[in-house]
Amino acid sequence: MGYVAVKGGTEAIEASIDRLKYERLKGGEQVEVSAILSSMRLLIDQVMSEASLYSPELAALAIKQAEGSMEEAVFLLRAHRSTLPRLYYSETVEPERMAVERRISASFKDIPGGQLLGATHDYTHRLIDFSLLEEQEEERQQWLQQYEGELSALEDAAGDGTYPKVVEYLRNEGLFETFEPDNTEPDDVTKNVFQFPASRSERLQILTRGQTGAVTALGYASLRGYGQVHPTVGEVRVGYLPITVPAHGGEDGDDSYYIGSVRATEVESFVPMPTKGPDGKQELRFEIGYGICYGQNETKAIAMSILDQCLEHPESDAPSHDEEFVLLHVDTVESTGFISHLKMPHYVTFQSKLDSVRNTRKGRDGHES
Amino acid sequence: MKRRRMTEILIEGNPELADRLASEIRHHYPVRELAAPRQGLTMIKMRETAKQSLFYLGEVLVTEAKVEIGDHIGVGIVAGVREKLAGDLAVIDAACRAGLSETAGWTAMLEAEEIRLADRKRRELAALEKTKVQFDTMEE
Repeated sequence: MGYVAVKGGTEAIEASIDRLKYERLKGGEQVEVSAILSSMRLLIDQVMSEASLYSPELAALAIKQAEGSMEEAVFLLRAHRSTLPRLYYSETVEPERMAVERRISASFKDIPGGQLLGATHDYTHRLIDFSLLEEQEEERQQWLQQYEGELSALEDAAGDGTYPKVVEYLRNEGLFETFEPDNTEPDDVTKNVFQFPASRSERLQILTRGQTGAVTALGYASLRGYGQVHPTVGEVRVGYLPITVPAHGGEDGDDSYYIGSVRATEVESFVPMPTKGPDGKQELRFEIGYGICYGQNETKAIAMSILDQCLEHPESDAPSHDEEFVLLHVDTVESTGFISHLKMPHYVTFQSKLDSVRNTRKGRDGHES
Repeated sequence: MKRRRMTEILIEGNPELADRLASEIRHHYPVRELAAPRQGLTMIKMRETAKQSLFYLGEVLVTEAKVEIGDHIGVGIVAGVREKLAGDLAVIDAACRAGLSETAGWTAMLEAEEIRLADRKRRELAALEKTKVQFDTMEE
């Protein structure tokens, strides 16, 4: 049986697209892109992270167009990104340059610089706040004025917003292994199809652009026994990373162009690993799992740090240590694209399967008679 | 003033400053537009802290513009969709590369804006400091 080309459905498709627009508009009220930008911060963060494109404005527009569908918004951004030229590569961003607005440690109460809670839902009651149904503009402005008034009365703080890394503190104590900066140029999964075993740079790039739910699920699976990594979070920090690009012919960092900053969440997880000491006896040492993603998305960054550490130890048979299992299944566009392609017409292949079943039955019935 | 410092002041500060400096140049010199402000991508190269290796964090949307003053090409690059600012930055960059006399008078204005930015930063830090945890040890 050969393939049979068919056509048709054009009018139905056009009507379907009209129907989609009708669904978006029929409620009578529309949320403006500016309103999404100012009130849907964490949703925007998640879309940018999974799209691997930092642009709050475009992410907000994509969210509006996609009627709030994460997978559709990420797809739109990825598609748009593919139409744009890559003009520059940044200079290396050194994470300690982050202007921190939140940093906590689950490993130590007292960390150099202190624990800064910043803005977080962690300590809120998870009860629906019905007062938001009645929230008025005047009330919002009043609250803002009062809050900003209280802040203006504070004494200015010193410093530039950077904080020492908890992990460096421990390295200086000789408790963690130290590494010299490795300036090997990273691989880029958006330019070249990666091969197994993947390089460390490819693994980190795939994980940081992975779907939040998928990365979280696989990290969780590791904790539940489908992996051998159960870390203590050394540090979670959220803040802005300054981005610079080198000037053509520039000689040093002072010649480079500052282009802005991106908000990111960064995590170092401390993972106890059994090892043999100098006397041949079993002892524990700590290794570090690393996680980072655009925006404030702490669950994803922590889960990434677990998976990073899992993939550093492929000797385990557990699924979360299998890089093919992890890396090929966490990308939003690949996974949602493949799953949703199943609803596209498969008339011929299914007809072929039906024929096979019919022939098998016919043969069996004939044989039995 | 070095480019790294100047571009940070102009991008993080009030965009009216970039407009003012670029307008001054446009008023006195012919500025040829080589590339109108356009959107593109910059890939972010990042160092991770576990093994100190490099990887790509992702791309950031940027607006880029290029101009020429005399034989000197200026480039304006800024994250986001900011066409006017990218154009102004390109003019300012070309003026600095050409060493135009007007640029000598810019330092005071840039430093004043830098001080204003530092004040804003200190206020933001003070606000964040309020969320710093003061642990009290519980006694039995």
